[in-house]
Amino acid sequence: MEQLKLAARNARKKTIVPVKQVRIGEGFVVIAGPCSVESEEQMLITARMVKEAGADMLRGGAFKPRTSPYAFQGLGLEGLKILEKAGRETGLPVVTEVVDPRDVTWVCEFADVLQIGTRNMQNFALLKEVGKANKPVLLKRGMYSSLKEWLYSIEYILNAGNPHVILCERGIRTFETYTRNTLDISAVPAMKELTHLPIIVDPSHATGRVSMIESMSLAAVSAGADGLLVEVHFKPEIALSDKDQQLNPRQFKQMMWKLRKLVQFHQQLAKQKSPRGET
Amino acid sequence: MNLEEIHKLLRKIDYRLIKLLDERMELLLKLTRLQQENQAASDVNGFQDAEKYSQGLIRPEFYRRLYREILTESKKLLDRDFKLIAFQGEHGAYSEVAARVWDESLIPIPCTEFTEIFEEVEAGVFDYGIVPVENNTGGQVNQVNQLVLGTSLHVIGAVELHIHHCLLAPKGTDYRELHSVYSHTQALEQCRQFLARNKLQPVPYYDTAGAARMIAENTPPSAAAIASKLAAELYNLEIIKENIEDFPHNITRFLIFARQPRNEPGEKCSIVFSTEHKAGTLFRVLEVFARRGINLTRIESMPNLRGSFAFFLDFEGDQNDRPVKEALQEVQKLTTDFRMLGCYNEKRGQ
Repeated sequence: MEQLKLAARNARKKTIVPVKQVRIGEGFVVIAGPCSVESEEQMLITARMVKEAGADMLRGGAFKPRTSPYAFQGLGLEGLKILEKAGRETGLPVVTEVVDPRDVTWVCEFADVLQIGTRNMQNFALLKEVGKANKPVLLKRGMYSSLKEWLYSIEYILNAGNPHVILCERGIRTFETYTRNTLDISAVPAMKELTHLPIIVDPSHATGRVSMIESMSLAAVSAGADGLLVEVHFKPEIALSDKDQQLNPRQFKQMMWKLRKLVQFHQQLAKQKSPRGET
Repeated sequence: MNLEEIHKLLRKIDYRLIKLLDERMELLLKLTRLQQENQAASDVNGFQDAEKYSQGLIRPEFYRRLYREILTESKKLLDRDFKLIAFQGEHGAYSEVAARVWDESLIPIPCTEFTEIFEEVEAGVFDYGIVPVENNTGGQVNQVNQLVLGTSLHVIGAVELHIHHCLLAPKGTDYRELHSVYSHTQALEQCRQFLARNKLQPVPYYDTAGAARMIAENTPPSAAAIASKLAAELYNLEIIKENIEDFPHNITRFLIFARQPRNEPGEKCSIVFSTEHKAGTLFRVLEVFARRGINLTRIESMPNLRGSFAFFLDFEGDQNDRPVKEALQEVQKLTTDFRMLGCYNEKRGQ
């Protein structure tokens, strides 16, 4: 992969992506929030709850790339305004998806990180546009994409001038139908070998099942991920999209407690010497 | 013309009816002040004329009924003892925002020119006038300071307004279609980076709120305005983005003038004076304040009409505090054309 001039790890130092007070690539960063911004009330209540539970950043979709044109498409500009307000109130930086190249500069005015969704991983016009933006980009893996294709998409953004890219493994399509996707947890150490960029895991889209999110999140910590992108809704049962995969605040809080313990364990482990003869 | 277009036009007409009635009422308020007595009824004639040029579907009887309603309401309003505060610009101007911060019970009346404000407060048409004197990024408002030099009015209050610019467009506008942005040059300048980032073309206009009003009334294609949040409310515009100023600390200071000085204790004083054209004269004035530990908050020089310089000085304290009193007595001896502009309280607002 000698053509990956900018994305390849080579001798480069690990990239740390600064987002306001948060530094992605250092420690374990949790980005939480609803799938879609549905109303000011829903977003603000959820934002306060995830902050209280220890989240570092907020997520929420204003533009929703839905499979059906008749499904809820997001609040658009109104959603961006609500997100910005939630970010200001909680002090948490905000991540939101951008789907249209014409929206890129506008989304930059309201959000702190631009997300490229799985369906747009190879939307090269969009990649070039966010490559020109003055905000970091969270690039999700395409649901049918190989790591190599993902690497070239990263290269597009870096090549357009934006050095701040965060990767997100969100599951890929396999023959399995029980889960929404199959979480490719091996993509975490693989991308760490191949690139210098931080990588986080989205257990919500990977499984599509609330019951599996906690264990997959813990797996992400152990696999060496730099963080998590997880869907939390103050009342998942009334959510306008992805209601089966959004944690409620109680579940999120519980998961955060375990995550923190596991992160501490791994930090201690890293300080200790392995027993002789084993590595 | 399709259904949607007709609805749009109807909404526009209703909006204009309301704005015109507001404007009519403001003119009546001015009229009564000029006549010094309540003669508002005398404008009934205008209504009767209207019958002559009304045409078409509506019966004259309807006009008469409508006018009677308007007159009754006008009289009711005129009977109330409103206090009027004049500001420069259109409704929704930052000066009006500042006037509302100062005292929400006052009725803000727009004026075209700063001179109009001073003249008409002096003449008793308005009870108060509010004018911007300085902005931390744009500097002094020279035109206003010149007028302050020549006025007999007294400063009775001040407002420090944190200016937050908003990008406004008619409701339903697709922000991705926006191309040009109308506003006062100073506002355009203060949002220069925002406009450049979003590839928007700045178009200078005489006033921020005037630009908002024009956008609302003429709906030029792909156009937005930069103005206050108040302007968005008054002209029924959508706020595309709040706080679009490039630098967060954008503060304008306003002074409120009246015919009579304030008699209650205040926290700040403003004076103006000239000094002889000799070395150290201004220094000796400043020394008077320094010796007594009085904190100066503004010092500004301004050429006056006699070819020398006037100095504006603001400082903290009440005019009846002993150190302030002594300082003022001393300063009067050291200066020429000394005038106490006022002792007042200062409010802060967004």
